[in-house]
Amino acid sequence: MNMDYSETAERISRKFSKSGQAIDIKKIESKLRRLVDEFGVQPQEAERSVTNELNKEFNIPGTGPGSSSGKAGGTNEQKKIADAVPGEWITIVGKVVALSTPASPSIAQSGIIADDSGAIRFVAWAKSNAPAMAEGAWYRIESAVVDEFKGIANLKIHSGTSVKELGTEESLIPSAVPVRDLHTGIGCVRAKVVQEWDASHERMLQAGLLGDESGTIKFVIWKEPGKEKLAVGGVYNIFYAQVDEFNGRLSLNLNTATIMQEDGDLPVSGGESIVKGSIVHIAPGSGIIKRCPVEGCNRALSRQNYCPIHEIQPKFVYDLRIKGWLDDGEKTHNILLQRDAVESLTGISLDAAREIAENNPLGMDEVFIRMRDAVLGRYITCHGREIDGRVLVNKCERLNFESSEHAALLNRAGGVS
Amino acid sequence: MSTNPRDMPKREGAFEREPARRVFAAELRECRYQFKDGEDEKSPTFVLLPTGERSNRIFIVGTLTEKTRQGDQNIFYRGRVVDPTGTFFVMAGSYQPEAMQQLAKIETPAFVAVIGKPSLYQKPDGSFMNSVRVESITVVDKDTRDLWVLDTATHTLDRIDAYNNGTDPDVIKAKEQYPGMDPAVFRRTAYDALAQIKI
Repeated sequence: MNMDYSETAERISRKFSKSGQAIDIKKIESKLRRLVDEFGVQPQEAERSVTNELNKEFNIPGTGPGSSSGKAGGTNEQKKIADAVPGEWITIVGKVVALSTPASPSIAQSGIIADDSGAIRFVAWAKSNAPAMAEGAWYRIESAVVDEFKGIANLKIHSGTSVKELGTEESLIPSAVPVRDLHTGIGCVRAKVVQEWDASHERMLQAGLLGDESGTIKFVIWKEPGKEKLAVGGVYNIFYAQVDEFNGRLSLNLNTATIMQEDGDLPVSGGESIVKGSIVHIAPGSGIIKRCPVEGCNRALSRQNYCPIHEIQPKFVYDLRIKGWLDDGEKTHNILLQRDAVESLTGISLDAAREIAENNPLGMDEVFIRMRDAVLGRYITCHGREIDGRVLVNKCERLNFESSEHAALLNRAGGVS
Repeated sequence: MSTNPRDMPKREGAFEREPARRVFAAELRECRYQFKDGEDEKSPTFVLLPTGERSNRIFIVGTLTEKTRQGDQNIFYRGRVVDPTGTFFVMAGSYQPEAMQQLAKIETPAFVAVIGKPSLYQKPDGSFMNSVRVESITVVDKDTRDLWVLDTATHTLDRIDAYNNGTDPDVIKAKEQYPGMDPAVFRRTAYDALAQIKI
């Protein structure tokens, strides 16, 4: 199917020419085509995301706290949720798609409200005396304030806001965006669970990595009644998840989201990287390690078999890993070699390592020393996924001397002098 | 329910480890200028390479030809690591116990890979001495040495190209600090080093 984007592009271009920006229609068309054809984005969503991208590019209108939230009146017309800008008073019509337990007694209700343009978190103050809203129902919310909380736009329902239920039963089909195009706020994606990580907090039900063709993103589910873990390798439609930013990285909080598993598979290509260089440091904690046997835990234990959550675990499970730095002379990459990669690079299998650890006076240190001596200073190529500045290496090999490269360098050095 | 992003695990900040520069002994020998980046006591010290790049750490692979133990109370080891262009003077003291033990164990001669910090001393007679404080040293094979020569030749030639472009602040600094230096000599050095690899 080859769609015609000229009409949509025309519409977007007209929008911007009103505010004095001339934008190449061809460019808009190609952005649209990319989103729709390559990433399977629905045309409506593509139009929105291109418009937003251009808005950002031209800084239209006041993404900053332009009008102070104290001023009533002024702009209070009905708007699409996607057009809500922090600092404004607005009126919207939308459907409550999620309700969450309020974090404080001063909040009567919190959740997510959506229309066909997008979704936004809302908070109804206890003092507002607003009627309780029901999940799945449509409301007209007049004179609410948009503000920003932890970098995420939030709709505040206060005592001056009027909330009316509309009684319509329009269905709202959210459209997913490519993972790479997610931005802080509320987002919908169709993605595959590519990794599950050690839960780093006792209130955390699951953490891991979701990916689609465009990229990967960390996800978190916090423990809450009714919440279930996602299956690793499963493909999910995730509607209205909260996109947080932390230390400059986005992550998806799935507690508010509606999640539907889907049959089939999804190619995930983003995040795969190859780094080359020499290993310039092997960090402590490399070699043979013990892991917590409690299902779903898998944390590395201390020397005394102590797990930070499950305490003493005498029936630990052995594993191999190497943490270190790979340096190409310009940049140093933090690498973490997983067991298969460690075995192939060091030539020491998990069984052999256990044998050494259990029968040697230095114990696990002996494995560390042997592995360090086998890999430190060596040139290797690592394949893996880069997450939070660290490459998780699932495959690596020693670099070979290439005589063609040697010859080319001789030429380069011997050429002009 | 907590949606507080601050509850999420802390990840390592934006720490950037100083890369280990690739430099032949013949170039390191010519260094005469080192500086601190910043006022802080812990600011890193850099040796400025004549080809116009700062280095706080270097990676070298060569032949450890000699090592000697020195000192009574504060034991330290000195060693000579030879590449196709000259000699690096390396040392490891009690402040680098792991590196010192590694160095103590190695039988000469052996191909070694060294990661270390370069530093510059002026001797009482006014001449300069470059030495490398070892962070780690391991025995490697000849293949690794040959790969290092290719790697170091590539980086040296890249630096010379950047020097000839002349826009990088460190290149400008190098031109000030090493006024009589023609980086073309290091192109020759690289060529000679490459030519010593037998195919």
